[in-house]
Amino acid sequence: MTLETVLFWIFGGLAVVAAIATITRKNPVISALFLILNFGGLAGLYLLLNAQFIAVVQIIVYAGAIMVLFLFVIMLLRPDDEKSFFAENKQIKWTGIAIGTFLFAQLAYVIFVGVPKQSIVRDAQRSVEIGTIESIGRALFTQFLVPFEAIAFVLLAATIGALVLAKKKFD
Amino acid sequence: MIENYIPVFVVLGFAILFALATVFSSEIFGPKRPTKEKLSTYESGVKPIGSANERVSIKYYLVAMLFIIFDLEVIFVYPWAVTFTKLFSEFGMVIFTSMMVFLVVFEIGYLYAYKKGAFKWD
Amino acid sequence: MIPLEYFLIISAFMFISGVVGVLTRKNAIVVFMSIELMLNSANLAFVSFASFMGDVTGQVFVFFVMAVAAAEAAIGLAIVIAIFRNKLTVNIDEINILKW
Repeated sequence: MTLETVLFWIFGGLAVVAAIATITRKNPVISALFLILNFGGLAGLYLLLNAQFIAVVQIIVYAGAIMVLFLFVIMLLRPDDEKSFFAENKQIKWTGIAIGTFLFAQLAYVIFVGVPKQSIVRDAQRSVEIGTIESIGRALFTQFLVPFEAIAFVLLAATIGALVLAKKKFD
Repeated sequence: MIENYIPVFVVLGFAILFALATVFSSEIFGPKRPTKEKLSTYESGVKPIGSANERVSIKYYLVAMLFIIFDLEVIFVYPWAVTFTKLFSEFGMVIFTSMMVFLVVFEIGYLYAYKKGAFKWD
Repeated sequence: MIPLEYFLIISAFMFISGVVGVLTRKNAIVVFMSIELMLNSANLAFVSFASFMGDVTGQVFVFFVMAVAAAEAAIGLAIVIAIFRNKLTVNIDEINILKW
């Protein structure tokens, strides 16, 4: 057991458990807090993959900004708690879980068995290089310049759209 | 690579431990002799009005939404700032202009929010 | 060294959690959170492939996914608020005017 393996199991387990808790808790605030925990675990996994900048951005943008918006909206609307997961609509719940299990089995088959077995070996030095902010900046401002400008317009549309939808008196 | 981050994990672990310890040590060690007076809602000596479960105002939503948008703007500016000198010597003004276009498009949204009064608190 | 498959299976599991959440939950906000979960699982797959293949494109793509997810969260939650204003509920079983 190297340090890397131990950390992988900690962060991976955190991500998996928090993902399950997110979709099963009946109180949406608790769901949102578990989702933040899930994002924390994901940031750890990104660090293990040597994607340092992405890990930091994950914390800043997702755990820091998007989930704050979610929590504010939950507190703004104060939805009632749902019943506990299996309390009602049992067929729908079981159908959902069955579909999920089926899809998961399919994906697991593809990941572990389906692809031709030529295992991809990670070049550790190279993966550290590409995870740095310099390499991401270089790719972003040369090869991906047009999508980068397009993102500005997407976010402009988001600003204006959200203001138009939300800026009426709320009572 | 991950070895470089051990100090971060140590700090994180201490932060979690400290938070849990402060919350639960008062629970464990503090004396508990509740009376009816002590258990009543404390609102600076005034009789409590209404419920604590009130809806927060939509203003918080607007502030959080604008925060996300400008947070993302900053996230895109970081890699630009770090790589600027290198890329500028290679490609010239294109690098500068592209970021200015990006920022100007954002400022249109900012001005719109300002005009709409999203920053007014009442 | 952890093989690529392990990261991908975590990504797959998170995606399936998101799918099950969308299929089974009734609260529109929790459905949104499930969608965030699915977007994040895609991000994890992108980053693990980028790291294992030694190609930065995957990581740049994660940026774009994050930007689009933020825009989607802002607009989507504004829509939820607008629906709540009209129908005083966020239960998606009761928001069924378009249902036929």
